[in-house]
This record gives sequence, structure tokens and C-alpha cells, in this order.
Amino acid sequence: MAELPGKQLAQELTQKSREESRRTPMEALIAAAREGKFREEEGFRLIGRLWTSERLFYYIYGGWGQGLEIGDFPPSVKYLFARQIMDESTQEMVYLDTLLRKGWVKTQQEAFRHPYGKFVIDSALAYYAFSLRNLATYPHPVRIAALNLGAKVVELGWMEGLTEALPDGDLRAVFTSQFVENRGHINMGRRIVEECVGKPFEAELCRWACGIARRDYGMFLQELSDVVLGRPPVIEARTAPLRIND
Amino acid sequence: MPRAKDGARPTLKINHERCTECRMCYLACRELNLDAVYVALEPLHRLEIDPHKCTYPVCTVCLAYCPAEGSIVEAESGRWLVPPPPDVHRWWLKSGP
Repeated sequence: MAELPGKQLAQELTQKSREESRRTPMEALIAAAREGKFREEEGFRLIGRLWTSERLFYYIYGGWGQGLEIGDFPPSVKYLFARQIMDESTQEMVYLDTLLRKGWVKTQQEAFRHPYGKFVIDSALAYYAFSLRNLATYPHPVRIAALNLGAKVVELGWMEGLTEALPDGDLRAVFTSQFVENRGHINMGRRIVEECVGKPFEAELCRWACGIARRDYGMFLQELSDVVLGRPPVIEARTAPLRIND
Repeated sequence: MPRAKDGARPTLKINHERCTECRMCYLACRELNLDAVYVALEPLHRLEIDPHKCTYPVCTVCLAYCPAEGSIVEAESGRWLVPPPPDVHRWWLKSGP
């Protein structure tokens, strides 16, 4: 059987993300959980912010879906994308269920209005979401490489670490139940890169996009960690007027 | 008014043999703020109905929206309630709103 064209690239991207996965700002959260400083309030903040981030994937994938054409990639690539959209939606539902079950919010409407569940433009989360959405005009394997072999590998790393350290069994179950899906997304990314990325310029695009996704996801994790632990924000997202002459 | 958990009324459950996981029941239930349909915390993330929150037969919105025949059943009898049989709505006629 012929060697898959993107096999080495997929390994390279995964390896780089894996190295970063246990050096994220979430390590502070894991340490807090180990020291018994992760209580109800911290749990509420964490699940609220993660719910907000999951909601944004409807927006991101909506843009990506518009960039797919009939016959541009094998049907399996599109099936895997559909599967990933479904899984992301499931995880959004799991987070909202948790907010309701724990009594942190009474209704879905209240969750949308609460500061922990509210989406604000001036945030690292928005930066990350817009950054991913911007990949809509890139070839599908490039954006899948960025997300599934970049941010998703990092996400799985901190999530596994946090799950081990969390004292709350309910929250542990929330994260544990997602592991199969998250590992599945990484495997989908690996398969798509292996099969569909063969040309050197596409490989370079994948490296670039993967680096961007990791960087912006890292900014979101810094913001998340600060919010959950009640620290003053390290990253301050600012909007500045764009000057055409710059 | 007795609730499902008291055993005075029949309760609903999802028939996973028939359910397509389209999530219409989840969305409809959530829109009414009943939140009885939830995602189970297991790797398959299947939908379940919490009998403590479900108000069936007062509310039958999930039965009305579900497109997959037989995917919501009466837990006690196993009777298929999708599409809703006429007597499901007769509860209102017997008991009044």
C-alpha cells in the first residue's frame, strides 16, 4: 500500500500540539483543583465559559460549511465534518445541562444573560472564534488541521489533566464523557491531513494555520484561567480603529 | 397535582432502538424551560428523559415534535407514543386544564 502523502505532516503537527498541551494556562487551574481551591463558584465559571465557547462553533462551522462544494473532497471528509458538528453541538448541550442541573442558572435564557455565559466581542474568546471562522476561505484540510491537530490536541491534554484533579464527580463525568468524541476529532484530523494534504504549499499552509489556532486558543485559555480563578486579566483584548494608510 | 415521580402518572422514556438523536425533543423541552430531556454523561451521549422534571401527560410537546416513530415510549407499558395516539390528548378532556 502506498504511503499516505500527509502522514509525516500529521505526525509533526500532532506532536507539536501535544508538547504544548501540558504547558497551557490551564495548569494553574489543575493546580488549584489539586490544592482543593476549586469550589462551586469556580466550577460555575468554568462550565459557563466553556458553554459560551462551544456555542461559537455553530458560527465557525457555519462559515466553514459554506466553503465546501459538491465533489471537491471525498464524501468521507464531509461525513466526518458533519459528525464533528454534531459532537460539538452535543458538548454544548452537556455544558448547558450541567449549568441547569447544578442549579447555577434556572433557565436557558438566564444562562445566555449571565456574565459567565454571555458572549462579548471584546474578549480573547471572540478573537479565537473569529480567527477560526476566518479559515472559512481556506481548503478544508487546512482548517481541519488547524483545529483538530492544533487546538483540539491542546484541549484534550488540559481536559484530561483537569479531570484527574477535579474533586467534583459530576464535573469529572462532564469531561470524561467527551473524551471519546475529542479523541475522535483528533483522529479525523489526522486521517484528513494524511489523505488530502500532499503538496508542499498545502503542508506549509497547514503548519501556519495550526500555529495560529494554537496561539489564539492559548489566548482564550489564558482568559479562561483568569476568569475561573478570579485573577485580573493578563490579556486585555482591545479594539482599535483600523487606519487604511498603515 | 401529582407528578410523574409519585407514580400517579405514566412516565416517558426514550426508546434508543428507534431514536435518531435528531434532538427535536431536547430543543422543544428546553424552549418550555422544563429541561426534562437531557444528554446522558456517557460516551454515546444519548438523550434521556428525567421523570422528575417531565410533566407528561400535561405536556406532550416532545411527542408532537418527534419525527421517529416509536422513539418515545411510556416507561411503564412500553407503549409507543410517537406519533401521539389520540388518547394522549384526552387527558385534558378528562382532567381539564
